[in-house]
Parts: sequence; C-alpha cells; structure tokens
Amino acid sequence: MSDNGHNPYNPIPMHIVRAYYESNDRSLKTFELVFDHQKDCDQFFSNYDPGQFCQLSIFGKGEAPFGIASAAWEGEFVRFTVQKMGSFTKYIHTLQAGDPIGMRGPLGNGFPLEDWKGKNIVIIGGGCAFSTLYALTKHVHHSKHRPDYEELIVIYGARTSGLCMYKHDIETWYQRSDMEIHQAIDVPEEDWSHHVGYVPDVVKDVAPSPQNAVAVVCGPPIMTKYTLPVLVNLGFAPEDIFTSLEKRMKCGIGKCGRCNIGSKYICKDGPVFSLAELNALPADI
Amino acid sequence: MMYILVKKNLDQKLSEWSAKYEVVAPQKVEAYSQFLPFTESSELALNEPHNTRYPPKSLFLPQSEVMLKYNKRLNKFDEIRILPEKRIIFGIRPCDASALTLLDTVFDTEEYQDPYWAGRRENTILVGLGCSEPPSTCFCTTVGYGPFNHDGLDAIMTELDDVFVIEALSAKGEKLFSDFPAATNEHELSVLRIQSNAKQGMNQAFETEGLKQTLDHLFESDYWSEIAESCLGCGVCTYLCPTCFCFDIVDEVQRNERVRNWDTCMFRIYSQEASGHNPRPTISERTRQRLMHKYSYWLDHIEKIGCTGCGRCVRYCPVGLDIRAMLRTASNFESEVVNVG
Amino acid sequence: MPELKTELRNNIEQLLNDQAVDVVIAFKKADLPLRPQPAFFRNVEELEDLEYNGLCQNNLANYLTRYPHDTKIGIVVRGCESRSVNALIVEKQHPRENLYMIGVPCQGILDIRKIINKTGEDITDYSEDGDQVSVIFKGNEIKLQRSDLLHDSCLRCVHPNPVNADVLLGDPLPEGDPTIVRQAIEEFEALDRDERYAWFQKEAERCIRCYACREACPMCYCTECFVDHTTPRWTESDISQAGTQAWHIIRAFHQAGRCTSCGACERACPMDIKMTYLTDKLNKDMLEVYQFEAGMDDNTPPPFASFNLDDKNRFVI
Repeated sequence: MSDNGHNPYNPIPMHIVRAYYESNDRSLKTFELVFDHQKDCDQFFSNYDPGQFCQLSIFGKGEAPFGIASAAWEGEFVRFTVQKMGSFTKYIHTLQAGDPIGMRGPLGNGFPLEDWKGKNIVIIGGGCAFSTLYALTKHVHHSKHRPDYEELIVIYGARTSGLCMYKHDIETWYQRSDMEIHQAIDVPEEDWSHHVGYVPDVVKDVAPSPQNAVAVVCGPPIMTKYTLPVLVNLGFAPEDIFTSLEKRMKCGIGKCGRCNIGSKYICKDGPVFSLAELNALPADI
Repeated sequence: MMYILVKKNLDQKLSEWSAKYEVVAPQKVEAYSQFLPFTESSELALNEPHNTRYPPKSLFLPQSEVMLKYNKRLNKFDEIRILPEKRIIFGIRPCDASALTLLDTVFDTEEYQDPYWAGRRENTILVGLGCSEPPSTCFCTTVGYGPFNHDGLDAIMTELDDVFVIEALSAKGEKLFSDFPAATNEHELSVLRIQSNAKQGMNQAFETEGLKQTLDHLFESDYWSEIAESCLGCGVCTYLCPTCFCFDIVDEVQRNERVRNWDTCMFRIYSQEASGHNPRPTISERTRQRLMHKYSYWLDHIEKIGCTGCGRCVRYCPVGLDIRAMLRTASNFESEVVNVG
Repeated sequence: MPELKTELRNNIEQLLNDQAVDVVIAFKKADLPLRPQPAFFRNVEELEDLEYNGLCQNNLANYLTRYPHDTKIGIVVRGCESRSVNALIVEKQHPRENLYMIGVPCQGILDIRKIINKTGEDITDYSEDGDQVSVIFKGNEIKLQRSDLLHDSCLRCVHPNPVNADVLLGDPLPEGDPTIVRQAIEEFEALDRDERYAWFQKEAERCIRCYACREACPMCYCTECFVDHTTPRWTESDISQAGTQAWHIIRAFHQAGRCTSCGACERACPMDIKMTYLTDKLNKDMLEVYQFEAGMDDNTPPPFASFNLDDKNRFVI
C-alpha cells in the first residue's frame, strides 16, 4: 500500500457524533466518531478488522492508542470506549458530541477472522479491554457473518454491575439463540442474576469445549495471566488461544521502536497474538 | 569506472556543486566534527581517521523535526514536510552509509512509508570516503561490513596523497563524476593496496557466529546486570549510533507544533506506561533491549546485524563501556552458565 | 602512583577479606588504555583489574544512590568525590555508618580529549609518573606534562584532598588556589548581558538532550527529572533553543549549594559543552551569600534545603 505523498503521521479529521458515559462512576466514556471526508471513511472501512486500534489525536495533548469498539456493519462511524487514566484520557472525557478530534488508523493486525471460519468462538473479556471483543462479537453475530462460524460463547466480567459496558445491547444478547452470554461481577450485588466471581473462575465453571474452538482473551494483565492457564487446562492448544497486548506506543506503525517485545512490535505485528506466539517471545512485558 | 578529484580542487568542486545541489560535508565544531552545509568559509574535517562524532543519520532523521503545525481552536493542521531539493552528502563513511540502508527497512516499508525519510533518501547523492587507517575503536569488518563497503553509496573515494580516487557505484554517482578525469592504472593499483591494507589491519572484535543464539539464551540471566553495572543510562551510545532510530512524538504547546524527537531505550521513561508499569525498570533491562535489538531482533527482521561497527558508542561512552567487550563476555558467560548448569 | 595503587589494592583486599563491606566502588582497567571504568568489587580475585590513575574520570559517588541504605559500601574518594558523598549523606541518600570511604588525594583528572588532541586517536598504552604522562601512539612513545592535560574543572580545583575519609592513602596535597576559579567566573561576570547570553547560547545550542551530564552527576538522582515530567510538561523536549536552554539553566539551578565542581558533567558530554561555568558561578554565589561550600561536612544542609522557623526574613527570599 505504498503511497507516495501519503503521510501516515497525519491525523484523519473526525467529529464526535455521540458521547455518553458507559459506567455509573463516569470512569468509562464512549465516543462515536464520524469522518469529515468520505474518502477517509471509505479508506478506513476497506481496511478495518475487529481487534485493530487507532491513535486518537488531540492537538496540544498528543496521541494515545484505543481499541476499536464498533463493527463495520454498524454504520459509517468508529466507536471507542475510553477509561479515565492519565492527562490525555482525562481531557478526552471533557469532549462532547460535535467536538472535532483526530484519528489515525485502523492500526495493527486485528483478529484472524479468516482462520477462525468454521470454528466455535469463545470470547472472554474483562474491564474496558472488552471493547474490541464487543466489536468482535458484533461482527461475528451479524447475519452476514454468523453462518461462517459455529458456536459463539461470550464471557464478560466487570468489577461491579455499574462498570458493565454496552449494557442495553448486551441485554439483547440473552434473547439470541445463536450465542451464549455469561456476565460476571466480582462481588454479589442485589438484582444481579448472572455470575459472581473472577473471570478465570467463571471460565472454569462455564468450561467451554476446546473441540474445534478458538478462545480470545482480553482484559487487565492480571485477569489474562490467570485465564490463559485455565484455557490450557481445558484443553485449548496455545495456537487456538488469542489475546491482545498493550504497550506504550507513539507511531503505531512500527517505526518509533517503543512497543517491542522481543522482535515483535505490538503496534504492527500485534496487538493480537496467539499464546503460541507469545510463548516464543522473551519475557519483556 | 574510476575518476580522480585533485585535492586542491576540492573546494572549487564543492562550490560548483553548490550551485545545483545542497552540499553537506563533515566540518569541525569545537573539538568534534559534524555534517554541515558547505559554504565558502567551511573548514572541512576529512582528515579524521573515522566518522564524524555527530552521526549523519540526522540528515535523514533529524534529531527534532516538526511534523505538523496545528491550530487547536479550528482543529486544523498544516503538514510540515521540509525536504531538501537535490543534495550531495560528501565524505560520508561507509559505516554511516550502510546504516542508512538498514534504516530503509524500517522507514520505507511496503505497508507504511515514512514520507520524511523517503523524501530525503530520494533526493540525496551519497559520496563516501573510505577509511584508509581505521582506528582500533572501529569494528566494521567484525559485523559484516568493511572500511570500503559500498552499501548505500553512490560513489566511494579512496584518499591518495594528492587526489581522491572515485569509484562510481550507481547511475547517480556515475552521472555526478562522468566529466572528471579518469584514474590511471597506477591510481587504481594504489587504491587496491590501500583498501586491502585497511581491511587487513582490522581485527575480529568478537565472534558473530551464534551470537544471536547466545544472547537469546542469556535473556533472563544475570549477564545484563553484570555488564550494565557501571552504565549511566544516558543517551550517548544510542543518539550517536547510526542505526538507532527510536523516536518520540510530542506536541509543543507553546509553538502549536507536533514534533518528533530522537528517543532512546536507555531512558527510564522510554517504555514507562500510563499505568506506571515499566517493563524495563532498571538499566539492566534497558541495556538488554539495546544489545538484543542490534544483535538479535534485527536478525529476526532482516537477517542482518543492526550495527555497522562505526565505533561511536565505544569512543564516547562516558564510563568507557565497550560494546565489543560486552559481547565477548556474552559468549564466556554462556559457557559458564552451561558449565554450571 | 603505582605505590598508591598497591596501597589501594591492599586496603580494598583487607575490607573484602574482613567482610567489612558488601561492595567496593572503584575503577578497573579496560581494553582501551585511556578508558578505565567504574567497577564494583565484591571478591578479592577481581582486584587483578583494579585501576587508579589520572584517567579515572567519573565521580564514583554517582553510584551510591543505586544501593539500598543497608548495603555496606566501600568507595574510593578523591577531594570532589568525598564532598559529593557528604552532600548525599546530608540529603539522606546513604547513611554514613554504612559507608567506608577510602580517601585518595587527587592530582587532578586528565581530559582524554586534550590528550588525543596532542597525539592522535589510537593510543595503545598509557603510563604516568608524577607530573609526567607517557603514551604510545602508533608505536612511538610521547611524553606529556600532566598539567597540560588536566580537565578544566581540575585546573580550578580548590580541595584536592578528601574532606571525609575513613582512611587516607598517600600524602595530602596542598589546597588549590580559590582565586583561580574566582577569576574564571569573574571573567564571565564581566561580560555584558548580550555577551553572556551569546556565550550561553553557543554552548547550549550543541546540546543533544542525551542527559549524560545528568546521569554522570551524583547529585542528579531524582527518580523523575523535571524534563521527564509529563503532567505538566515543564520544558520543551526537543533540541530547539527553548528546550536546550531551559535544560541547562534549570539543571544548573538545581545544583546550587549541592555541586562540588567535580566536572563529571562536562567530561561526560559528547558534544564538548561547557557547563561548569554555570555551576561554578552558582557555587561562587553560594559562598559569597551564604558562606557555604557543598559537601564540606556530612551534616550541614545546603542553604536552599534548610529553613528556620525563627527566620526574621520574609518567606521566600
């Protein structure tokens, strides 16, 4: 895709069309962005796969990477859910519908959806890292793609019910006959009728079959660390377990050197890696 | 085809080129040398036995470069891409030129071309100066290059008493020198002798065969904390290194500019994450990253060592750390590990 | 000098044999004769490599802050180093009782670049005898005078003898002449504002922000340096004039009353930037205004790090 004259460091001009809090403590806020120029939109959607990320770009504040939380079929917008952490995300949280913003992407490899065709898919997420898995689920269960895959199981944990993202949409997943959804929170709450416990334990309870299946795990490092062995114990091969990594990034296109683990750049070779690939990398995390 | 450039005509020739090109050549600054635009008053520093202290990679990847100028209020920006017209870099050493070809594999890839890098590469003619008497701090032959290596050069010069003998290595080089007087047989014989002496005068600084496997094997060993114990964690080795390319991108709010600056894995904050987690919390891990990148990861990427043996990190380390000694230690350390194990 | 090295070796050997310390920070030989390196001795066998000569150019106090406070550290200290160690003790960076200071009167550190300028790059051997230095360049011996090769800060040294040591090896040297450093600063002060700025600008503009000066300085031990701070960012981080000037000015000010004029910053600088004129100026002011010289004892806090509740003056300044 060598394109002389194109500058991959230039942010794509976007506007926020919808901005809403995702959690009742207001630590998570979702933004839906539309393109100022149709050609940027076409370019984006000709390249986008769930699992990819973008650099959100704000003049005077810099850039930071965020996973894409929308599926292409949802419309000509791109969704991100941003957790308030440092100065950059604090600033993003002040933005509202109508505000301009820059974006670079889609970046990274995304989930290997082609390879997963014909298989059962087990999606396991925790916290705000569920955002790209939300995009993945929406992609897979769309009528156009659903026949390509066998069973779909989604396990999603959050610390509290108030921190559960995409609530209204996920509620409708319980009605679907073509997927299984398991939600969990860490400690019991009144009116909570789903699982209670940590994600690795919920995975143990649900015990998805490794037969003809792939599992994808995204969550806080501690959750991922304890969930991977559970899947291995259930019989999933390292080649069939996938996760998405995060590291400090700047360029997002494999040039600035910052986000490597061994000889792999998270931004370019990842962020999605199989456990088999991760096992081959040095302990540089 | 070989040509000659009579030394006493050098300034005149550079002036002539200046009419059509931007000419950049090594010049004295305080006690060191650096590539600077040639002017009538330039004092050329071609007689140092080695490369300039400040690396010419900066002519392609400037240490600080404005990428865009923004207007925050209007959320608009102007892309800034200041590229040279046509340019000749005169007197670049083979180690620095071959380093550019390594960096091409980072900045000019099929997937994402860095337009700043690519633009500068395209517009530049590289006239190299081979190293007749490489100092003992240089080790290009050890890592697969040599004092008269051709990689990346459009022409290479060999210095004789009163002339530079020039061998054109590309169409660009051929065109630049085609109207120069041809070298005589005698010249060419001298060139052969000088080039072969220069190469033979250099020793194998460390064993490269199996080095990658050794380092990979030592990844979680104490080797790194041992070799890095006196390391200050400054950026001298990496900033002066011709193959180090890491950069940071920051918004300079007082100037409304987005700037990229050289950055280095030797700095603590380089890989520090927003959560506060630092995957490389001490100088040992950072030294490991620096050495593994050059002697292991580059090999994974393009099957070449990411070091051209230019010797700067050896010459200018404030605590006298010598990457060659570090790598020799690796082999010994591994055999100790194996013996003990 | 060889006798001093032997004495030093015996002393360190004793310390290690007696297990009086966990580690001794000194210098060791390296492959390149001009580049002895800071070294960390834990075993007597390693002392084969011990080196001590005029080329030992780093301030070893720099490494103290890398150790937990309960590590018993032996450290070779020259005049400036002993003062840096004192300053670190005052700033509670290592307890005095866990330090064993091996004092060595210092004849001054040689500037490698001055040697290379006089000979050439490829020096294959080096030796020194009193005021004489001898190097082998391209097979030929070249004799040089030590005084011609001293690093600029050592030419201005006032306290060559350790001011705090558990043992002193070698004979004390005469104290340096304080008028020399004063003269150098007064020359700078005598320039008018534009000339001073031009001087500063000429030095700062070569800065490549590698922070070798910071990392080589024992007093720059902050976990997070002001230039690395991101919220808010205090300075521009590029090599623009604003960025490099801010770095040099603020770095110097953070040294006021703490710098011991060792010159390690300048020796570490890959771009030959003069920066001790800034710290020397501040040191001179500290002496004139507060009668304070950094690190002369291990209990007086620097003026800018101390306060008095009964202070009659208004806060601050």
